[in-house]
Amino acid sequence: MYEKLFESTKLAQPIQSGDSWQHLCYVSTWDAFLAQSGGEWSRVFRDGARVKFGKPSGSYAMLGRVKGFPAYWSQWTFKVHPAFEINGLPNPNEVLNPNWNIGYSLGPSSSSGKFIDDVNQVYLHQPSANRIDIYSLEDGRKVGEIVHNAGEYFAGIAWVQPGQVAGLCRTNGKVRIMDYLSSPRVLEIGRLDPFKVAAYDAAFHLFFAIGTDHKARVYCREAWPAVLSAPVFEPASIRGLKGNLVKARLTGQDGEPCPGWWVHWELADAGGGLRGCLDNYVTKTDEAGWAKSRYFGPDDNQPGPCKIKARVELS
Amino acid sequence: MGLWHLNTVAPCLEYIDQGSCVPPPGPALWGPLGLTYNGELITCPKHYRQSTNWVANFFYEPGNDRIIAHIVLNTTYWPGWDVQRYEFNAEDGAWSNREEALARQAWIGIWGAAYTQKATMGSFNKIYACRNNETKIREVMWEYAEPATNGWWVDPYTWNPKSIYGYAVVNRIDNLLAAAANWTLDCWRTIGSTPERFAQLRLPNVLNYLAYESRNYCWVITQDGVICKADYQIPRWEMMSTVQNPEADALKYFITYDTKRKRVVVFRQRPDAADGACQHQLEFYYPMVAAGQLTQPVPVTSLKAGNRVILAAHLIGDAGEGVTPYTVEGEMEELVEGRLVTPFSGTELNGRVCFQYQAPEEACTETLKLKVTVEES
Repeated sequence: MYEKLFESTKLAQPIQSGDSWQHLCYVSTWDAFLAQSGGEWSRVFRDGARVKFGKPSGSYAMLGRVKGFPAYWSQWTFKVHPAFEINGLPNPNEVLNPNWNIGYSLGPSSSSGKFIDDVNQVYLHQPSANRIDIYSLEDGRKVGEIVHNAGEYFAGIAWVQPGQVAGLCRTNGKVRIMDYLSSPRVLEIGRLDPFKVAAYDAAFHLFFAIGTDHKARVYCREAWPAVLSAPVFEPASIRGLKGNLVKARLTGQDGEPCPGWWVHWELADAGGGLRGCLDNYVTKTDEAGWAKSRYFGPDDNQPGPCKIKARVELS
Repeated sequence: MGLWHLNTVAPCLEYIDQGSCVPPPGPALWGPLGLTYNGELITCPKHYRQSTNWVANFFYEPGNDRIIAHIVLNTTYWPGWDVQRYEFNAEDGAWSNREEALARQAWIGIWGAAYTQKATMGSFNKIYACRNNETKIREVMWEYAEPATNGWWVDPYTWNPKSIYGYAVVNRIDNLLAAAANWTLDCWRTIGSTPERFAQLRLPNVLNYLAYESRNYCWVITQDGVICKADYQIPRWEMMSTVQNPEADALKYFITYDTKRKRVVVFRQRPDAADGACQHQLEFYYPMVAAGQLTQPVPVTSLKAGNRVILAAHLIGDAGEGVTPYTVEGEMEELVEGRLVTPFSGTELNGRVCFQYQAPEEACTETLKLKVTVEES
């Protein structure tokens, strides 16, 4: 689970009862999010403030686009159009896929997000809940695939940075950061709370979601700790009068590493009093989530029981 | 960019007052008051002899420097309807022809109002309008909304693709036309020779009115009061904002652009008051920044002890547009354990402000208050 930075008290929900959000996209020129429901275009800000400015028309379905702007697929023409920077509305005067029509079976929907990179001429489609297929926009040929095994269709595929997208699962909250260009694969896994719509904030590298309770939530791309492994020695045999490396690993809900967290080390009485000492009683986890310290045996060099505790303060 | 609200004239016009009302069920068609049409207009508590049926045209008339509204009225007097031309001083919105209109001397005839609708100023300071009884877009007379004698016209129904419009801005100098029927603004060029629809702009909502600004720009107002500015030559959207305090009871919005003062004028059609009094209003806006709200600061970096935390907020207008340049001041509430590194921040083009906070080494709870001073309009 990613670290939740903020949860709004404001409720970001469409005005009309029964209406619900279908798509959400970060718009860099606004530094805010464009939300589309059946009857509403709105700007949504990170604190949950929502400003309606229009009503969708023309049966355009939103999809993610390179650089973070939305794009729109027309189910009548099978063409994808960019959005105007000022208001995020579809610009029917430009076509991003002039050489290949994206048909019904490949087009986006509110339950299965798609992504278009017109700079590198590729289109990302989800044929199943566990895979993304990469198509060339030049001739509609499949040029690659990413097996992500999220077990659910991504409701949205959002641009992260050049060559990378984030797939966001609505029900199980799973997130997959994927490389779709140089070496298609999953780069990072994570999780959000289940949501109605979500998007990737490419300015601050955050996830922004509107929950089924209509609250806005902001998550940073750092895993929230769930498990701190028992301290282990490396190597396993301990020698007296010598610094013995001891380490513990801090991981998230899905085993993802939690770097940058302070781990507090402590010697405890295991029946023979406190024996030996540690060289560091507080150390920070590294990129792989490991925190390390060194244990020095007692000066008398006599064997005996010793217990080392590790803990992390979350709040 | 947003719209700076300058002033509102409410109500901007009045109906003829009957001076008394008739208890329910109201007056008979033939009765002590003589022939009385639309008796509900003077059935207590209502006591006015007129009520708005529809607003046919609303535009700036540069020759007289006036804002003009052609309004079709329901009346108690014969023949049960009336069409009056209401003229307002473009400077302050004062009702210029009050005596004339209340004396029913501003009558413009039914055909201009019935057949000509959504008129707006265009090239050469003339008034142009789409027509209900034909597919042509014509130059019309500002006084009566009747087609001008030997006036300019085009017929988009003869173009490819055939088109019929309800709203249009005419740029004869560059041979351009921007016109809409409902959701899409069609941009045409070479309308004097071989018209070509070279682009379209999808509107954010159902269109209520379209207004000409210049050879490049036009203004759009939608049914929910959202105001957009478009460059119809490129074409692209230039600005999005909204009327101040869009109310659920507003019936319709009409927009025009005062080319002399470079500002937007909105006519808000509102339902009559309980006593039947007119509640329509004129609103004047200047296209510039207008702050509407300051969003809550939200942390955008990890909240770990000892970290430097960035918090972002936005100063936005009524349509969510960024507002700049303003300085937003930050202040920590009491019991400060960390340090606010950025005590103030200037808004960026999208209205964003960022503050940096240095968290202490221990866990704590802190509150950042933001403040911005906005000049009164």
